[in-house]
Amino acid sequence: MMPKIALKGVNKSFGHVNNAFVALSDLSFDIRAGEFLAVVGPSGCGKTTVLNMLAGLDSPSSGQILLDGVAISGPGAERGVMFQDYALFPWRTVRGNIEFGLLYGKPGQGVSSEARRKRVDDAIALVGLSGAENKYPHQLSGGMRQRVALGRLVANQPDILLMDEPLAALDAQTRIILQEELLRIWGQDTAQETRRTVMFVTHGIDEAVFLADRVVVLSSHPGRLKAIVDIDLPRPRNGETRKSARFAELSQEIWELIREEAYRATMK
Amino acid sequence: MKWLAIRLMSPVGLLVLWEVLVRLSGSPRAPSPSTVFVAAGELIASGELLAGLSTSIVRVLAGFVVACLVAVPLGLVMGAVRSVERNLDPVVESFRPVAAIAILPLVILWLGTGNTAAIAIVAYAAFFPVLVNTISGVKNVEPSLLRAAHTMGLSPLTRLHAVLLPAAMPSILVGMRIALGVAWTAIIAAELAVGAKSGSSGGIGQMMFVFYAYSIQLSGIVVCMAAVGVVAFCLDRLVSLCLTFITPWSNAR
Repeated sequence: MMPKIALKGVNKSFGHVNNAFVALSDLSFDIRAGEFLAVVGPSGCGKTTVLNMLAGLDSPSSGQILLDGVAISGPGAERGVMFQDYALFPWRTVRGNIEFGLLYGKPGQGVSSEARRKRVDDAIALVGLSGAENKYPHQLSGGMRQRVALGRLVANQPDILLMDEPLAALDAQTRIILQEELLRIWGQDTAQETRRTVMFVTHGIDEAVFLADRVVVLSSHPGRLKAIVDIDLPRPRNGETRKSARFAELSQEIWELIREEAYRATMK
Repeated sequence: MKWLAIRLMSPVGLLVLWEVLVRLSGSPRAPSPSTVFVAAGELIASGELLAGLSTSIVRVLAGFVVACLVAVPLGLVMGAVRSVERNLDPVVESFRPVAAIAILPLVILWLGTGNTAAIAIVAYAAFFPVLVNTISGVKNVEPSLLRAAHTMGLSPLTRLHAVLLPAAMPSILVGMRIALGVAWTAIIAAELAVGAKSGSSGGIGQMMFVFYAYSIQLSGIVVCMAAVGVVAFCLDRLVSLCLTFITPWSNAR
């Protein structure tokens, strides 16, 4: 089966030829349709660069990134992005933010205003923001802002969700709750064919193991593929999953892969 | 009470000192607080002061609106499109130091000394603060907002009105606040400079000119100065009230 997204020998460097900073070197991996793929690695491994290229905000210096077999040349309505700082529009309410893409962007083309309202209502309910529709982002807690960003993403109904450390700015308890929420919204209880494709960039190993079907481990300076780890934990995953021996084992395995570099990065 | 007394001490003290100095000097022309209050009462009762002020205020508002209508769209485009900014920036920056009062001779020759000329002066003065703040507002838009808009496939025009304009709004409003103050200063100066030529039509500045050049009534001049100050203060408070009303999100960040 053709992968949803295929990275083939992707290189990315910034700056001038003589003085270039190599962010990614010869990176190849696939993302399968309906799969939850996490990308982890020490800081400086180019995780965000990968995500930006998939989003169409940046392009590889060489190599190819194929979406359904076609090279990505820019952003598209079939891909939705959730940014680390949420990128909410401060002048729009919760509702205004969630309907933004449908109102002004490609995802809303051909959507009647009635259908739009329905989709926005559904998204608000799905992320648990009913009753807070008319609040502004500055009136919300970090966890609620994150929900708004997620609501905006799902309202646009993209096939592929690209998430750049969306839970990094939250406190530990909120993060754990939202991880489970995220799996529910993604559809871990439903059949695999109906699930969206997710690429989730994170620096949290536990988070990656808890959420993902597979974890791509990158090394840093430059970013290279170190390993791809299959996460064979059963779904649906919940609090029990975190307590299982297999969860600890997989987390440990990934930690071993990046430990040395993480130490080096910290000491530098 | 005590607190109020302390706060009132210096202004009341100054007024008393002023009165005493005028009495001591014995000059018949020097305006004292008492003569100024009397003059103010007369000018208010006769309606002259209000008529002069309202003429000037209407001119300021008209010129201000014209300035905003040109400066905001231009600033949006200049802030958003690099090549436009590169082309226009030298022109703008070479006009900006030319004070509004310095274009008065040309304006009078072209437009006469009536309302049109007054509005043109005000518009010129108010234009630059609005433009400069609009440009900087657009340039300082959070890059992640633009990237979010980009990933949702907004067209350039939609991006302009749905992202750049509201994101730059706090900065634009700051520009407008400055502009209104500058415009008020400019109109007084222009009306003063035009003086009581035939064909010119009033305003608080011209009223001052009459007191200065014809009736030589210093108390009247002081009344006008005070009125100008009070109006400026009120305009500014009104605008800052509008700011918190229009952009509630920008203060709370």
